[in-house]
Amino acid sequence: MSHLPPVLRRLIRFGAAGTAVLIGLGVALFSAVPAAAQDAVGYVRLAHLSPDTPKVDVYLDKFGDSSFKEQVFPHVGYGDSSKYMALPVGTYTIAMRAENAPASSPPVITTQVTVEDGKAYTVAGVGKFAALGLKVLTDDLSRPTGGKAKVRVIQASVKAPIIDVSLPDGTSIGSNVAFATTTDYQIVSPGTWTLHLQPKPAGPGATLSAPLVAGSVYSLLVIDKGSGLWLTLLNDASGGSTAPNGAVEAGLGGTRNPNRTPLIAGLAIVFAGLVVVAMRLRTLIKRRG
Amino acid sequence: MTSEQRYIGVARPPQGVDPDPPRVVLNLSGTTASPDPATPLDPASSIVDLYEPETRPWVLARVAAAEIQPVRYGRFSAHRKRVRRAILHRFELVVWGCAVMVVAGLVLVALRVVNPPTYDSDSSGIPGPMATTVTADVPDATCAFGDCAAPSYTGPPTRVRIPAIGVDSSLETLGLDAHRELEPPKDFARAGWYSGGVAPGDTGPAIITGHVDSRTGPAVFFELHALRTGDLVEVDRGGQTVTFRVTRTEQYPKNAFPSDRVYAPTPGAELRLITCGGSFDRNRGSYRDNIVVYAIAN
Repeated sequence: MSHLPPVLRRLIRFGAAGTAVLIGLGVALFSAVPAAAQDAVGYVRLAHLSPDTPKVDVYLDKFGDSSFKEQVFPHVGYGDSSKYMALPVGTYTIAMRAENAPASSPPVITTQVTVEDGKAYTVAGVGKFAALGLKVLTDDLSRPTGGKAKVRVIQASVKAPIIDVSLPDGTSIGSNVAFATTTDYQIVSPGTWTLHLQPKPAGPGATLSAPLVAGSVYSLLVIDKGSGLWLTLLNDASGGSTAPNGAVEAGLGGTRNPNRTPLIAGLAIVFAGLVVVAMRLRTLIKRRG
Repeated sequence: MTSEQRYIGVARPPQGVDPDPPRVVLNLSGTTASPDPATPLDPASSIVDLYEPETRPWVLARVAAAEIQPVRYGRFSAHRKRVRRAILHRFELVVWGCAVMVVAGLVLVALRVVNPPTYDSDSSGIPGPMATTVTADVPDATCAFGDCAAPSYTGPPTRVRIPAIGVDSSLETLGLDAHRELEPPKDFARAGWYSGGVAPGDTGPAIITGHVDSRTGPAVFFELHALRTGDLVEVDRGGQTVTFRVTRTEQYPKNAFPSDRVYAPTPGAELRLITCGGSFDRNRGSYRDNIVVYAIAN
């Protein structure tokens, strides 16, 4: 650089200093932006829905994460379900072993579920024992629109292998629902309804009084019990009867007046730069003159 | 400058010598030129050294003293000016940088003076009016295994505490406006609970909002954006305390606010803390973003 004219050298020095100052100010001004913190969770519910399968011990472990403490749910029988468990996102292994079988023994059946942020899953042993399977249902817990409720049918009765479920006004919740299947959620008006179950093609029906709340999500679980059918209403999720519409106005900007800071700081830098340039010019003119 | 090194005059350099800017003549030793500027050099016999005192204190050329034009000494002499300029050049970068920093600092200080941050404290301990629509869902009597304990709470929430950001506020009761949008608390120093939704501790996403600031300074949820995973939020309800754990902090543009995500039904008891964030739109008098903190019951 020594071969450059001194004027250029000085200009370069000014430029370097100015750039450093600008970068410093920029960092100071924009460092206040919040960084998002993530530790997302999803929900998993376990159930035993296989009529002729004896009681089992259910094991839940996080795949490839030794810091997760394996959970064991002993003595789970047909028709039993857990509550939803909040679990950090990741892949989980679910295994069923015969009741009181050692944890080291090979499981009767095993499956994996990948839990995503904010999602919910029902992992159930379904079918007859001879064809036992672990089914992973992704439960659509999205809000039922328009102040409604949502309900679906989980069919685990082998005595009534095909059923219809309807409201008193005839609205169908599920039609021709086969054993070991689950319907999609149906939108229904909120209220306390008598749900009516009718085996197909014929047979003794069953009813259940179901208080369905707006903004909530339900599963109607159908199992065999004794000589008949047993209906259970599971509250999958609740969202409050009326959700607000969109964003929230919660600030009047009193702490954001420094919005003008970049402008004023920028003007200050420009002013300082102009002063320096003017001084240099004056000096140069004097020297040349 | 020692007694042997004094500027005594100005001379033009010989041909072939870099002319820029050495024009100053220095009497290096005093043996070839007069040590006293008052006594002129003998133009016929003196040879002096020519150099650039500002940047190159070594001899560049020798010229005859006859070439020298004596300089005037004094406070405002050209020689003194050159010395001052030389010193300035050395520290030009530092001086300039400092000047800009000082100006910027003054600007920032001035802004703080114009808009002093006022930290409102929660002066009101009055609980909000009774909730209008606390809904009770079907009790989950079917839980057969795992953690079936379902804590039950009664009454509306009365107070929220967030130790990580020093919030301890009683709760207003909030409703919706004509556009079904959530109304913010009337008091900038208090948070509010949306009573048309879920009560904290019940299944579902309970909603608590607070202002980020008023027109004059920070409000109750000024620091909400700073909440991090694992921070605790306590809500008092009917003599009991429900403890929530923060799972995430999000910033959403208001014009793309994910209602389906924020207000979606949840299988467990959750909490949403909402305030404003991002840049402030002065034309509309509104922040452009919302800060939403997700928390789940411990």
